[in-house]
Amino acid sequence: MELDNKSSKGKIILSGIIPFAFLVLLIAYIFGPGSDLLDLGVPLPEITMEKVDFVDSEIRVTVRNTGPIPVEIVMADINDRIQPAAIEPDRFLERYETALVRIPFAWNEAEPYRIGLTIEDGTRFEKEIEAAAPALEPSLELVGFFAIIGTYVGIIPVMIGLLWLPFIRKISKNKYHFFLALTAGLLLFLGIDSIEEALDVSEENLAGSFNGALLVATVVVLSFLGLYYSSEKLIRRAASSRIAKPTAIALMISIGIGLHNFGEGLAIGAAVGLGSIAFSTFLIVGFALHNTTEGIAIAAPMSRGKALIGKALIGKLAVLGLIAGSPAIFGAWVGGFVYSPFTSVIFLAVGAGAIFQVIITILRWIREEGDKNLSSAAVVSGFAAGMLVMYLTSILV
Amino acid sequence: MKKSHSRIMIASISVIIVMSALYFTFTEDIIAQQEDTVFVTHSGSVIKTTGEIIDPVYSTLLNPEYTESTVEFDPMEYLREFNYGKVSQLPDGTTLREFTIIAEDDKIMEVSPGVFFNVWTFNGTVPGPTIRATEGDIVRINFINNGSKPHTMHFHGIHPAEMDGVFEIVGQGGGRFTYEFEAGPVGVHPYHCHVMPVEEHIVRGMYGVYIVDPKEGRPAADEMVMVLNGFDTDFDTENNFYAANSIPFYYQNNPIQINTNELIRIYVVNMVEFDPINNLHLHANLFYYYPTGTSLVPSFYTDMITLSQTERGIMEFEYEYPGKYLFHAHKIEFSEKGWVGIFQVNDNPDQKSQLEIEYGT
Ligand SMILES: [Cu+2]
Repeated sequence: MELDNKSSKGKIILSGIIPFAFLVLLIAYIFGPGSDLLDLGVPLPEITMEKVDFVDSEIRVTVRNTGPIPVEIVMADINDRIQPAAIEPDRFLERYETALVRIPFAWNEAEPYRIGLTIEDGTRFEKEIEAAAPALEPSLELVGFFAIIGTYVGIIPVMIGLLWLPFIRKISKNKYHFFLALTAGLLLFLGIDSIEEALDVSEENLAGSFNGALLVATVVVLSFLGLYYSSEKLIRRAASSRIAKPTAIALMISIGIGLHNFGEGLAIGAAVGLGSIAFSTFLIVGFALHNTTEGIAIAAPMSRGKALIGKALIGKLAVLGLIAGSPAIFGAWVGGFVYSPFTSVIFLAVGAGAIFQVIITILRWIREEGDKNLSSAAVVSGFAAGMLVMYLTSILV
Repeated sequence: MKKSHSRIMIASISVIIVMSALYFTFTEDIIAQQEDTVFVTHSGSVIKTTGEIIDPVYSTLLNPEYTESTVEFDPMEYLREFNYGKVSQLPDGTTLREFTIIAEDDKIMEVSPGVFFNVWTFNGTVPGPTIRATEGDIVRINFINNGSKPHTMHFHGIHPAEMDGVFEIVGQGGGRFTYEFEAGPVGVHPYHCHVMPVEEHIVRGMYGVYIVDPKEGRPAADEMVMVLNGFDTDFDTENNFYAANSIPFYYQNNPIQINTNELIRIYVVNMVEFDPINNLHLHANLFYYYPTGTSLVPSFYTDMITLSQTERGIMEFEYEYPGKYLFHAHKIEFSEKGWVGIFQVNDNPDQKSQLEIEYGT
């Protein structure tokens, strides 16, 4: 009996290894005797200028080799006019390696510049900067400035949204469902918006070798799954503990919205850092308006909490508001001081995944709360109204 | 068991995401702080760098410790190199000048420090050799096409139709053709390949200068050839580099040495494609200009000429004062991409005493 068992175990292991061994052979073949198969196309070099900093009488370009072969950077130009430059640590870039190109240049603030780098085969790569702005030096003043903006964009609007709680509490079930669906619609719009933004940033600043769209898709799904899993855990645990279920749901919504707001803070910080001040005013006003609706999303489940009244409720709401809103401050710091397009794409995608998780949580809440029905007039019209409101505000702002 | 497994999985996925995000954020900033090389730009700003200097503009005069990148082609040698061919007399007493020109299209030329570009060549260089004869001589070119594409030699000048290098395509892989014609008219002319697409065969480098001297000769002078050309190294039908004699900024970093009160004669030919015009401006001086060099009487006394495609002429001037003088395209875009140079005018050792006497009496 035991022997049998052992041999069958061995068979299982073997049957697991055999395909793997073939896979190793397959890969080894293409690198060894079959390497001719890969010589068909001509590999084209590619470099990506990921970051351009305007410092005192100097333009600094962070460049990455994003192509399939090593490259050598031999020349720099500004506005298609050759300039002397230095490159650190050296001009030879292996795949994915970065270097810093320092071009002495008396640039003028707010003027557009085209930065060019030429590699050893004479191919010139270009990056366009809409308006030159001095690189942000981290200072206490700026840290404070970003904190104020983060508060204005993140915390205060969410708190304002929470003020609708007494109103939501008093309305009928149908109207309540309408409001829940409305927030789901608002959030869906924000999620799609974040994905679009992530795709834009990756398109403009990340090399093709990062597979921008797939990177965004993967991170969105991973972020969604991670939050979905932990929210299920939390809500299930809430059922058997002192945390009320509505509070657990509201907490998950706050966390999801918080992650999303981190991405928003990042975008604002980056916009200020890149010198597009007008653009960031637009962002700030836009985000502040959008984020008021996030407060409603948190308030909605809380309005059905039974045990909570008075100070305890206010305390809880304040904490939830902070969880949802304060990441905007951290996002602004990161975006302003250590901006990198890659981190931006990641955080925007994480935020989008978080938003989708929040939507799922809200929809399930409606289903459970209501009559297991997601196609009631209240829900459908709420959802549609949410999308529409967001679209209209996005045009107006 | 199951629960902890999935927890570990999620934890590790999030760790991977965070780590990679951090990696891509901070690698850019991990650059050693130690600074070695000091580098002075043309506007005088001083840059300290731990890395390397990438600069075709770079002047070794400003930065003596920086060793200059040297390209294989030597514009200084090309500048004053004239090929008179293998000379013999025909029975009727006419001078016969025989040249062998080999076309190739697989050469890789360092067209600017660090930039390696596939050029198509006559005798291995861009521009091809300067061919020089006297009016009335018989010029015989033994042309061999060792390239992988058909090529020809089309001379500007006067000759029979079958010697025009247009319809008599010379096949690749060793095709041969003998061009033979009487040298004329007097002047400076280009030659170039005329196989379709002609633009490509020219911009890849298949051109050179053909000079026809008048029988009576020209006054003695320090003579030079300047081909104004450019390279489109990324094939976007815009030149990435411009130069006099192929290498950008070469004569700026290596000034052309001339003497005061000595006649300088420059055979200048514009071979720039894509851009409709090119021009040449000489600093602190004016020159006599002979368009196409066909007349022995100058048409202009100027410091600025404008040249269209294959337009050419002869410039003559003398410098009175020693020092450094720029010459460059006054289309500044071209000069900032390499078409700029310097004449280093030195005191003339022969004429100095003579001058002193003149001024003394
Ligand atoms: Cu040709």
